[in-house]
Amino acid sequence: MTDTHPQTAAKSSEVIIAVRGLTKVFKDFWGRPKARAVDNVDFEVRRGEVFGLLGPNGSGKSTTVKMLLGLLYPTRGHIEVFGHSPRHVATKARIGYLPEESYLYRFLDCHETLDFFGNLFDLSPSERKSRNEQLLEMVGLSQIRTRVVGEFSKGMQRRIGLAQALINDPDLVILDEPTSGLDPIGCREVKDLIVTLAKRGKTVILSSHLLADVEDVCDHVVIYYGGKIQADGSLNDLLTNHDAIRITSPPLRAETMQKVLETIRQDVAADKVEIDNPRQNLESYFLDVVRKARENAAETSGATSGNRVAAYLRGDSDAPSWGRPPVCRFQEPLAPRSLTDSPSAPEPIQKVDQAKLQSLVRNTDPSVPVAPPPATTAPAVDLTKANVAPMWGRPPVCRYQEPLAPRSLTDSPPAPDPVQKLDQSKLQALVRNTDPSVPVAPPPASTAPTVNLNKANEKLASLLNKPK
Amino acid sequence: MNRILTITGLTWKAAFRYRLFWVLAVLLATSVVAFPLLLKDDGTARGLTQILLTYTLSAITGLLGFSTLWLSCGTLARDIEECQMQVVSVKPIGRWQIWLGKWIGVVSLNAALVGLSGAGVYALLQFRADTLPPAQQTILKKEIFVARASAKPTPPNMELLVAAVLQKRIKQLSGAGTLPNEALLRKQITQMVLAENLSVKPGSFKRFVVELGANFVKSLNRESLNRDNAVRVRGQTLQVRVKFRSSDPLAAEGAVYQTLWQVGVPESGNIKRLEKLLPAESFQEFELPPDMFDSEGRLTLDFYNANDVALWFGQDDGLEVFYTESTFGMNFIRGLGIILCWLALLASIGLAASSWLSFPVAAFASITVLVMGLCSGILSSAIEQGTIFGLDHETNQPVQPAFDSVILPIFKSALAVINLVKDFSPIDSLSTGRSITWGELGLAFAQIVLLMGGIFAAAGIALFSRRELAAAQVNS
Repeated sequence: MTDTHPQTAAKSSEVIIAVRGLTKVFKDFWGRPKARAVDNVDFEVRRGEVFGLLGPNGSGKSTTVKMLLGLLYPTRGHIEVFGHSPRHVATKARIGYLPEESYLYRFLDCHETLDFFGNLFDLSPSERKSRNEQLLEMVGLSQIRTRVVGEFSKGMQRRIGLAQALINDPDLVILDEPTSGLDPIGCREVKDLIVTLAKRGKTVILSSHLLADVEDVCDHVVIYYGGKIQADGSLNDLLTNHDAIRITSPPLRAETMQKVLETIRQDVAADKVEIDNPRQNLESYFLDVVRKARENAAETSGATSGNRVAAYLRGDSDAPSWGRPPVCRFQEPLAPRSLTDSPSAPEPIQKVDQAKLQSLVRNTDPSVPVAPPPATTAPAVDLTKANVAPMWGRPPVCRYQEPLAPRSLTDSPPAPDPVQKLDQSKLQALVRNTDPSVPVAPPPASTAPTVNLNKANEKLASLLNKPK
Repeated sequence: MNRILTITGLTWKAAFRYRLFWVLAVLLATSVVAFPLLLKDDGTARGLTQILLTYTLSAITGLLGFSTLWLSCGTLARDIEECQMQVVSVKPIGRWQIWLGKWIGVVSLNAALVGLSGAGVYALLQFRADTLPPAQQTILKKEIFVARASAKPTPPNMELLVAAVLQKRIKQLSGAGTLPNEALLRKQITQMVLAENLSVKPGSFKRFVVELGANFVKSLNRESLNRDNAVRVRGQTLQVRVKFRSSDPLAAEGAVYQTLWQVGVPESGNIKRLEKLLPAESFQEFELPPDMFDSEGRLTLDFYNANDVALWFGQDDGLEVFYTESTFGMNFIRGLGIILCWLALLASIGLAASSWLSFPVAAFASITVLVMGLCSGILSSAIEQGTIFGLDHETNQPVQPAFDSVILPIFKSALAVINLVKDFSPIDSLSTGRSITWGELGLAFAQIVLLMGGIFAAAGIALFSRRELAAAQVNS
């Protein structure tokens, strides 16, 4: 298993959670088996890993989480958390848990809630106060700290729930549907936080049925169905398509484009090549709109956003804000990194990992499996700036630009789509925008008509031959 | 300990935020302060205190008893059902600490409410006492607004007396060639010995020797050492409470009898005689002159029956001597302490039930236990009769002997357990001015809280620790 994720610098071989033969059978009043929620499950979670539990509703992922926390007891099997039983009290000092719903005391306000849980961790009064302030600031509830939790919207309850899960600066964070009920900004912030925690060597278990959330942040996933693990591996292994590559670059001059195409055509059939403009995803676009609105907005009576990650969670005093993680592996490179970033300006400096390039070049024969790049080559890439798409074997943001058909669990790796079509208007936009100072116009979403590649080439040639 | 106190603090906050504390405070203020202002008394000191203390302390016990069960069931069962316990129990706190924290929270809330309502009752008593006639106020100060220790005559060893007479009688009958029915003979002799010891025939006298007790002797010794903190027993008038029955079946109700009493150390010059006209069948109190006991705290009272009918002094309630041991205020506080012990036990019962039952079922079950405890009179009468379904009128034998042989031992065990709690009667003691000693309070704490409450707590904690907290939820 290869670890080329930017966040996995802190990842080690230390096993934090070991699950072997885990089975949970719910029984009725008379002790007769009622439902087999988890069936003979094995997995390990290592330190620094962001581990995703995926599965549809009722597949057993929440039951697994509850067994990891000692809230349910296994019918069979063995669980070790930090080398102890899940019911070992001292071990719980290293765990933070956000349940699937807000199970907080409705009569306590934000400050009292965090103070209560801080007390359970035996934090000193000064430490509790400091962390309370930072956490409330981080989750955007500092302005409403005296409102009782019972008056909160679901999203605000999730925020205070997340804060209580982090009050002890846990080594293991277990998040059950953490983005449920959150607005897009909140979702983004939670995902940023997960990345920040992972960077510090914290282990995160994320249980969710929201595939995008898991894909954005997880190193390793298990997919449940019917109480059994149907797939288990790193996202890299599970999702990388080794039969295609993607090169992303700032807009090129027409001559350069022509040269590139000609070079590629020497090795690849024309109908196998696709050219388009990357699009930023809706999340990035939404965040940008909100950022602009916020610059002129009045106060909000709800939670605020764009706040800094609590210093004690960052592990340093100069980390980026909550909303701009130091390494945003799930972010679209062209999209703004944070609410304060420029929304669409491409990074001027592009660095290419030579080793990765070599590996890609060597494996032009689709019949030869792609060797995973050695882990030691990862630091060669400036990960905060790299605009080369396959950072860790796949595009940074896949869900809106992945050209391959989605895989089912039983599919073999799919062959590339044989029909490659070039959008005429896209092509024109590509050519027109060779001047880097002119922003790239996003293609209209409704422009679906396609052209034959040969015709497109002719059109391209005629455009190129036009006098300027 | 910090974690336990955190849970305790949470229980307090819940009680205040859900306004339970204020509602209970208002209800207590209404029932133990406002209502008693309207109560009519008979104008006597004893009547006033009997009515006021019995009513108010019973109201406090009843109201807080039910609220304690309700609160203790709710505070744990609701937390489990509404899943807050899932978030709490994954923190580094043991389940036993959660349980104990909740128990301390409920008990400390009760302590605050008992303290507040007790202060109200005390103020009410002082206020109502001022309305009494001066003579009654004197009685109140001497007999009721005090903490009086009591002592009873040392009872003769009846078994030894009966055994000695029985042996003698059996020998006599055996010598005469008659084989006696020993059980029947023992019964007859027991009644005879009792009659000889408890009755005073016309023209005869009966001697009562009362050991005033170790505490009395301690006070005597302290006084001799001139300790300032000693309650002075020298120079103090003692009170005698008597109750006797007449052997005259035709005696009119309220008929009085001439009683002659001699008190003092026998064969010494320190002897005094008293004449009292007293009615039968009711408790009567009169004063004894001070310092009529010997150096070992022994008081000797001789009763001479100058009437033409025999008078009977019961073995338990025939005669009792009182002396002032402490102040009413401290006695009142110790009495409230025993009530708090009862409430602590109820908190244990409620929490134990909610450790494995849902809130409504736990509340129902624990209130049922309370009601069964209050109905212990049924158990004791069944045990006294020796049968549950009664006797066959013709054969005078139990109707269901097999059933009785199984159930009666269970009843006896249950009654023994209930009596561990009910043996303490602070309401009765306070309303009669009897002293509740620190030792009695300590014993109540040991029996009610540590032993009985501990059994429920151990069961509750064991059940709570084994419970799958994520298996019971109502709001998800």
